[in-house]
Amino acid sequence: MDEFQEILQDFLIESFELIEQLDQDLVELENTPEDLDLLNRIFRVAHTVKGASSFLNFDVLTHLTHHMEDVLNKARHGELLLDADVMDVVLESIDLMKTLLTSIRDTSSDEGIEVSECVARLDVISKGEELPAVKAVVEEATLVVDEVEEEISEPEEEVDYANMTDEDVEAEIERLLAERQAADRAKREAKIAAGEDVPAMPDTAPPAQEVKVEQEPKPVAAAAVVVPAAQPAAAKARPEPAAKAAAPASATAVEQTIRVDVKRLDHLMNLIGELVLGKNRLIKINDDVEERYEGEEFLEELNQVVSIVSLVTTDLQIAVMKTRMLPIGKVFNKFPRMIRDLSRELGKKIELELGGEETELDKSIVEEIGDPLVHIIRNSCDHGVESIEKRLAAGKPETGIIGLKAYNEGNHIVIQITDDGAGMDPDRLKMIAIEKGVISEKEADVMSEKEAFGLIFRPGFSTAAQVTNVSGRGVGMDVVKTNIEKLNGIIDIDSELGRGTIMKLKIPLTLAIIQALLVGVQEEYYAIPLASVLETVRISKEEIYTVENRSVMRLRDDVLSLVHIADIFEVEYVFDSSEHAYVVVLGLAETKIGLIVDSLVGQEEIVIKSMGEYLKGMDGIAGATIRGDGGVTLIVDVAAIMQMSKTIKSAIRGDAAGKSGASHKKTQPSDYKVMIIDDSKTDRKIMSLALKPLGITLIEATDGIEALNILKSGEHQFDALLIDIEMPRMDGYTLAGEIKKYNKYKNLPLIAVTSRSGKSDRMRGVESGMVEYITKPYSPDYLQNVVKRNIKFSFSEESAS
Amino acid sequence: MSSEKLQQIINKQQNQISPGAENIDNVVQLVGFIVGDEEFSVPILSIQEIIKPIEWTRVPRTPKYILGVFNLRGTVIPLIDLRLKFGLASVKMTESSRFVVMKNATETAGFVIDRLTEAIRLKKHEIGPAPETAKQDDSMIEGVGKQNDKILTILKVDKLLERDF
Repeated sequence: MDEFQEILQDFLIESFELIEQLDQDLVELENTPEDLDLLNRIFRVAHTVKGASSFLNFDVLTHLTHHMEDVLNKARHGELLLDADVMDVVLESIDLMKTLLTSIRDTSSDEGIEVSECVARLDVISKGEELPAVKAVVEEATLVVDEVEEEISEPEEEVDYANMTDEDVEAEIERLLAERQAADRAKREAKIAAGEDVPAMPDTAPPAQEVKVEQEPKPVAAAAVVVPAAQPAAAKARPEPAAKAAAPASATAVEQTIRVDVKRLDHLMNLIGELVLGKNRLIKINDDVEERYEGEEFLEELNQVVSIVSLVTTDLQIAVMKTRMLPIGKVFNKFPRMIRDLSRELGKKIELELGGEETELDKSIVEEIGDPLVHIIRNSCDHGVESIEKRLAAGKPETGIIGLKAYNEGNHIVIQITDDGAGMDPDRLKMIAIEKGVISEKEADVMSEKEAFGLIFRPGFSTAAQVTNVSGRGVGMDVVKTNIEKLNGIIDIDSELGRGTIMKLKIPLTLAIIQALLVGVQEEYYAIPLASVLETVRISKEEIYTVENRSVMRLRDDVLSLVHIADIFEVEYVFDSSEHAYVVVLGLAETKIGLIVDSLVGQEEIVIKSMGEYLKGMDGIAGATIRGDGGVTLIVDVAAIMQMSKTIKSAIRGDAAGKSGASHKKTQPSDYKVMIIDDSKTDRKIMSLALKPLGITLIEATDGIEALNILKSGEHQFDALLIDIEMPRMDGYTLAGEIKKYNKYKNLPLIAVTSRSGKSDRMRGVESGMVEYITKPYSPDYLQNVVKRNIKFSFSEESAS
Repeated sequence: MSSEKLQQIINKQQNQISPGAENIDNVVQLVGFIVGDEEFSVPILSIQEIIKPIEWTRVPRTPKYILGVFNLRGTVIPLIDLRLKFGLASVKMTESSRFVVMKNATETAGFVIDRLTEAIRLKKHEIGPAPETAKQDDSMIEGVGKQNDKILTILKVDKLLERDF
């Protein structure tokens, strides 16, 4: 039984793969009906599926594919021209085949699906009759079905063909032939009775019947396949199909591939994710070590190892990513068929031009991208390409062309959908949007052309006057937007009235490990997926304008609405940032927004980790990642931020700074706090004595570590630090360096008090962020003055004492 | 040593163990800790580990008692301040503060406590139900343990790990 299951699985996988290719081939065939290679390929698919399914006892499927094979075989021998009408039936039968295969996959059985009607039509074709006749005379068709069914059930009953002698087979063929002819006659009579115009019949019928004599042994061959022992007989009766059946099997065996469970690949990807985090950590540690042991010999060796590890990790990551890549052609394949059906349905002439099918994408993305593309292309067919009359009136060729092209661009793949149809009129879009209540008139006034095009993605928006089978419900494009956003993709639309529309979907190559831009606000850091970052701009505060309570800025020709990251993430404003701010321009689907941050930290490769059920789905947070230093950094959910920015009023940050300044207003000398950091008790004493007359609050620490802990605890707000250089555990330079890592201490004056007076010592002091350098010994007055100057002391000594 | 003798010894050992084994079923092992002025405890089996405070990252737009998330050997785990969760004032972490990482079938989270007390063995009959006033469904109290002169509140771990915002 297990073995059977295994064979069944292989059969299903193979069949689905074959069918995928089949759709495209068939549509292509319609345009080039003489392409023998193509025909042979299609025939082989039907044949392979038939052979395997009969072996696995799927009778309904065998039955259907057998009749498909009949039609295709005739076409292959040039006895039948595959025109559009014939193609309709063939495509229908392929759809049925798919349904059957799906049913087999889901229920391990192909029963319960009605194929007789389709088989009947196939039969009619294979007999060379005019198909529309069948369509016109429905009653007759059902009659035919009955007859045909009768005949069809025969090969299933009479499996003992293999045991027949040659004469018996001959006789059987004779019998079947007679039956078929009788059926034909009955059909023709029925048609004539129905008043059908059949002048061509007498001419075409005889050759068709002659053909049938050659064709007729086929059921025998089909039945023979069921019994492997009968192979020689089958081969004799019809050697061609048997040989054909063997051919594709051997062709696949040569292929250098193995099938791997996707779960294993996912697991591999997760492991690589962990490795990337480890690599980031290693690089960070290497940097720290480098700083501390500058010039040491082992550093070079360490450097080499670290760079090799990081190089190999990157390569490994790319290699694993590639194993998950599938050509986008897998998705594109279904569109020729779709366009064909749509154009017949809509009565338009549309041609699809595919390009870049070999472009590869992560499997998970390939799965997600299909739906949005279907909606976009349906939309292009329905709204984009005009009717034949309109096109001719506009001086365009009768056939509209829809282009579907994929190409790589950096870390992205771009899928471009173009049409040479009517294009979009931004004013009309705005009008409809106002009518449907999607936007207000005021909003419409300030909308740019591109934003107007973006309206088509709003839920409930549709330009179609009436709901048709194809579109008009105002749902499809909304689906596109949601799906593309889910993939962190960007939609770009360009349209010219009367000339056509170009839509570009820009999608990141992979989802699990992403490039991110790290930004800082106050003491917090956030990671923004680089896929959504269009650019970064440094602006001064004066460049931010307020329009209707919203901050905006001018970016080249556009007006960009701004939102401060601190407003979105409720970051407490402890200190004022500098006069300048950075704006990260975010783009997602069709919208753009500027996110104001305090600092840009850099670009890093990050691995998305979930925050568990407990914190799942927090507004604006897409997940978390672990940084090189072991800390956790949150990943910004760009789509959510764009939503949130609509409701958040962005205050200009200058006011907040004023507020925080007021709360720290010094009313008396003791409000000033200075920390003295020195390992020698005597030195600390000297310093406090010298500063005592000022009346300021003094806190003492004995070394760098202690000072850092006091500072970090946040119990005191210091106005200045007096730092000795020579100290145990952590010296003055290191301490200064550590303190300057915190944004909020950037403006905290650090004053070195030391007996080291060399020029190089002073240089190092400046480098590590010290603002003053006092050499011992010093006069108390000098120290007082330096401190007063640095803390901006505003009380005279008299009032203090 | 003959196999018979060996068998005897084994039997003897088993006899020694089995009365104890019966007891184990009736004994609940708990870990006690202080939050504010009160001692609480949770079943030892629901604790994954206890670590010293490490750095964490604030998660915006969450209730105050969720301090944020921290990195526990590569896994991102939420951190909850039990003081704030119990409506007490927040204090600075001290040398004795700990993160107690608790887990159930679906969720893992770290809880900040003021200090650990001890591992406690309580017999089942020493555990009483939660007081009437705290018996509602949303109560975080599983039961109350009586030990010598002390009263020990046993917390519902599932409730602690349940998202309630």
